[in-house]
Amino acid sequence: MLKKAPTDMCHTDFAVSINNVTKTFTQWQRDNTGMGLIRNLIKPEKQTITALDDVTFAIRKGEFVAYAGPNGAGKSTTMKLLGGMLLPNSGDISVLSLSPQKQRTILMQRLGILFGNRTELWWDHPVIQSLEWKKVVWGISDEMYKKNLAMVIELLHIGNLLKTFARELSLGQRMRADLAMMLLHNPEVILLDEPTLGLDVVAKRQMIDFLKRINKDNVVTIIVTSHDMDDLEEMAERILMISAGKIAFDGSFSELRSITGNLTRVAITMEQGFIPKIENGNLLSSNNGLFEYDVDLAKTPVRDLLSQLSEVEGVRDVEIKKAPIEQVIAGLYRDWDSGKKINV
Amino acid sequence: MGVKSAFKLKRLISLFAISAKMDLVWLFRDTKFALTAILADTISNLSVVSSVYLIALRFGGIGGMSVDEVLFMMAYSTITTGIFILFGSGNNIHISRIIGRGQLEHLFVQPLTLKTQLITSGFSPFTGSGNFIIGCILLAIAINRLHLEVSLWWITLLIIYILATMIIIVARAYLVSSVAFYAPVAAEEISSTAIEGTWQLSTFPLSGMPSFIQIPLLTILPEGLMAWFPSLCLLGKPPLNLTEYFPLAYALIIALAASFIFRKGLNYYVKKGSNRYVPYGFRR
Repeated sequence: MLKKAPTDMCHTDFAVSINNVTKTFTQWQRDNTGMGLIRNLIKPEKQTITALDDVTFAIRKGEFVAYAGPNGAGKSTTMKLLGGMLLPNSGDISVLSLSPQKQRTILMQRLGILFGNRTELWWDHPVIQSLEWKKVVWGISDEMYKKNLAMVIELLHIGNLLKTFARELSLGQRMRADLAMMLLHNPEVILLDEPTLGLDVVAKRQMIDFLKRINKDNVVTIIVTSHDMDDLEEMAERILMISAGKIAFDGSFSELRSITGNLTRVAITMEQGFIPKIENGNLLSSNNGLFEYDVDLAKTPVRDLLSQLSEVEGVRDVEIKKAPIEQVIAGLYRDWDSGKKINV
Repeated sequence: MGVKSAFKLKRLISLFAISAKMDLVWLFRDTKFALTAILADTISNLSVVSSVYLIALRFGGIGGMSVDEVLFMMAYSTITTGIFILFGSGNNIHISRIIGRGQLEHLFVQPLTLKTQLITSGFSPFTGSGNFIIGCILLAIAINRLHLEVSLWWITLLIIYILATMIIIVARAYLVSSVAFYAPVAAEEISSTAIEGTWQLSTFPLSGMPSFIQIPLLTILPEGLMAWFPSLCLLGKPPLNLTEYFPLAYALIIALAASFIFRKGLNYYVKKGSNRYVPYGFRR
């Protein structure tokens, strides 16, 4: 876990470093009454939203980091700050030892950004034309272009999409083509904002496998946001969680599970007429003799759980697995909403 | 020329070249529709200038300008319109569309300065050159009919005036587009409204009009500088006892004002961000 850049490490070891960054936005507030309209003309009401509140973290080169948080927590704002699209109110941002705001054009030669809800492809041209456009705009050498094109065609299975117009691609195909285009210039750091948004199971699978592979093989640093926590857990080793503009958690997924109570899902298949009973277990569902419980292993150690189950009559099968990360996170968000502090 | 400058020039040429190639590919992708679009565009622009020319023909000139002088002015106007279409096909001149739709971020992710992107991204020599070519033909006809002495200095002056007119058009577009930084939805189309809304006025010869009409149209709303004033300067008859350098001075002032206001707006954008994003209309 790395919340701040340690002083004994060279700054070039970091792909990303954010120090005491604060970013606020102003929102206009209006009501629809007659008085409200007049009041708005004289003295408009504004509300200041703190998207990031004195945020500090660092990411080492080659890390695969999930950046998560509830809606409006400040995820996209962070991505835009790292990409030089926004200026912070205060604090320092460094990506590959470059300032995104002051050295944007140099940084963009080494950074790749992809927003799931927008495309960089030329809409009314075949995909290959967008790739060729990228080659010229980024000044990619012929050799690198050929090599990377061959790589993305193989890994992202886009060979049959190259001659298709971008506007005629499905969402999953479009995402793959966008990802291929982003990788042509060998980015050292990749920022992905909701890359799995709207993708079906197969397309999502392909994207996750591909990202894991380029992270491992090419030592590319990847920072990814998603609302799908299961996807994030599968992709990333480290999770940074942001809530109300502050870093609320920074660590591994297993650490995240342990601080939220080490929830475990226990599925028990019973013979007809038998009902299991587990102390400290929360019954989630029962259907055709299959009973599902949530058990907090911090309160009921696995040995006690197995001991209880061995004494239950009519048990045909037992399956113990980790609770879905979505459930863990949902509990965390609820705690944050209710103002409950967790020990991170 | 230093190595750095040569590299920059080479890069600029390659960016123009890729825009040109994509324009050509787009044209050949669907020639029938592309040719129809070019034809419609040309007819539409020609009809604007020909209506004025027909009036001049019917009444033997307009406000002291002969029919051939009016033709010269129409040619000048068609050339500037042509250059506008030639370099501005990607909303890079009607920048309020990009700002208003929250699409500036597509420019920020490219490893090029905004200036370079905006200069090169709208270049469309194959689909957008119709007006420019017709304007050049009309200019040749007008020069021939007016028996103008075309020297190297005169051609230089012509290029300088056309450049000044283009600077005024682009600067005005960027000046009004800056509103879109603050009101993205309301001002998304402000650039096209400001330019195209008064385009017809810019093709009308203002000679013979009272000065209370002429002066505002050379200052507040510079339609008189789009074709009328520079044409008369090139014909050796600068109107209103104004110096023939007036369009150049105006171009300089409006360019400086636009640069200042636009930078201020851009600064506001990167501080506040845009809460609007429209996925269409950024690239064709």
